[in-house]
Amino acid sequence: MRALFLLGIVLGFGGTLAAAHWVPWISHHRLPSQTTVVANGGRAEQFLIHLPADRIAATDGKTGGLRSTGADRAMLLPAKFDAEPLLVEHYKVRDSTGQVVGIAARHWANGDHGMTATWSLLVPARGSIVLRAPGEKSGVLDAALQRAGYSPGAAWEGKLELALAQGGAVAGGTGDFAGLSGSYTETWKVTGVDASGAMRGTIELYTVTRIQ
Amino acid sequence: MKYLFVALLGLLIGAGLAGTALYYNPFTVHTGAAPATGDRVLRYSLPDQVLTAAVGEDALLAGRSTGVEGLWEDTIDRTAVIGLVLTDEAGQPAAIASRLMAASPSTDLLLTGVVVNDYWLVTVPGQGTLFVRSDSNVWPFLKETLLPVWLFDRPWRGPAEYRPTVGPNAGNTGSVLGVAGVFEGKTGSAVERYDVTAFGATQNSTSAVGELFLHLPEQQVAQQ
Repeated sequence: MRALFLLGIVLGFGGTLAAAHWVPWISHHRLPSQTTVVANGGRAEQFLIHLPADRIAATDGKTGGLRSTGADRAMLLPAKFDAEPLLVEHYKVRDSTGQVVGIAARHWANGDHGMTATWSLLVPARGSIVLRAPGEKSGVLDAALQRAGYSPGAAWEGKLELALAQGGAVAGGTGDFAGLSGSYTETWKVTGVDASGAMRGTIELYTVTRIQ
Repeated sequence: MKYLFVALLGLLIGAGLAGTALYYNPFTVHTGAAPATGDRVLRYSLPDQVLTAAVGEDALLAGRSTGVEGLWEDTIDRTAVIGLVLTDEAGQPAAIASRLMAASPSTDLLLTGVVVNDYWLVTVPGQGTLFVRSDSNVWPFLKETLLPVWLFDRPWRGPAEYRPTVGPNAGNTGSVLGVAGVFEGKTGSAVERYDVTAFGATQNSTSAVGELFLHLPEQQVAQQ
């Protein structure tokens, strides 16, 4: 009886320590990667952001236009940055089938030689990928919508397709995205704007990567 | 039946002893590297300089709600995204950071601690953008601050300093990649340090001051 009791203690102690070490306590739910092979080499993968559902927050700077005012949750910039060409946006990210797979941040700001746009995408089960491109001109989306018939303060429905980043590059990555180089494009497809300025539509990030 | 009871009692006591050993395990409380002299420092304070925070439903510690809409989907329910204003050494706003975080599969309660993968996108207006990747061991903070106060209702014994960065680089440092502007193409290392200056049973009573130390070659260029 005593031996059994001691054996139980040893097994309980050892088993718990073994579980602490070997049990995968953190395991992110992973969906199949929606990648396709590109004819001339590399792999293509598209990430989607549905507006307004996937918008988490955006900064409130004057230069953000509808992309700032239409956000449910505004990030209030300090006064020093209010007039700067600076827009920070946070989103959920979907794969090409429309399933949410990650989160992302987009920074649009003035660099030392003009505007830059950078994305950091985190797909928890796979890693992160960083994208960069020359930044779009200030207010380009608002101007395009107004050319398509949108009037500030009024609701609008229609179809607008605007490429915000052409010739963007993959700047780095971790996990499954480590060691990749390549290019990406960013296209905004807007189908409506409500009276409060919230946009409906899709942001498409199309990446083509290959192992360096 | 008696033998089964004795065996189960032994298992429970053994598991309890192991749990205690894990709680006081010295392997999981190691701290990150100290910042080097000359590193560029960007500071933040919580909650004043938090622009926004969204936290995954399964990332909420001790079941506490953040009061903001969470990230509920299965694939992102252990992540968080935080927007921060970073200040320079003079206390003036110098940068905006988006901090994407996810609980790390490399978490090992016996040897490494509770690890969080931390991805910073830091933009310094007029200069450019940096990507910082670090692995942070949050177990010392959980053990010394959060669990005693939130779970065991004990008074907080602070203030407390933490240096959570434990990788992925050798020497317990994070990695820095210059993405755009004057930083483009540069690589370096980073460490984070923070002081919890107040901590209470509610989130509103919590405050902290943090520092992100960036070590980049040609530091003087980045500091212009």
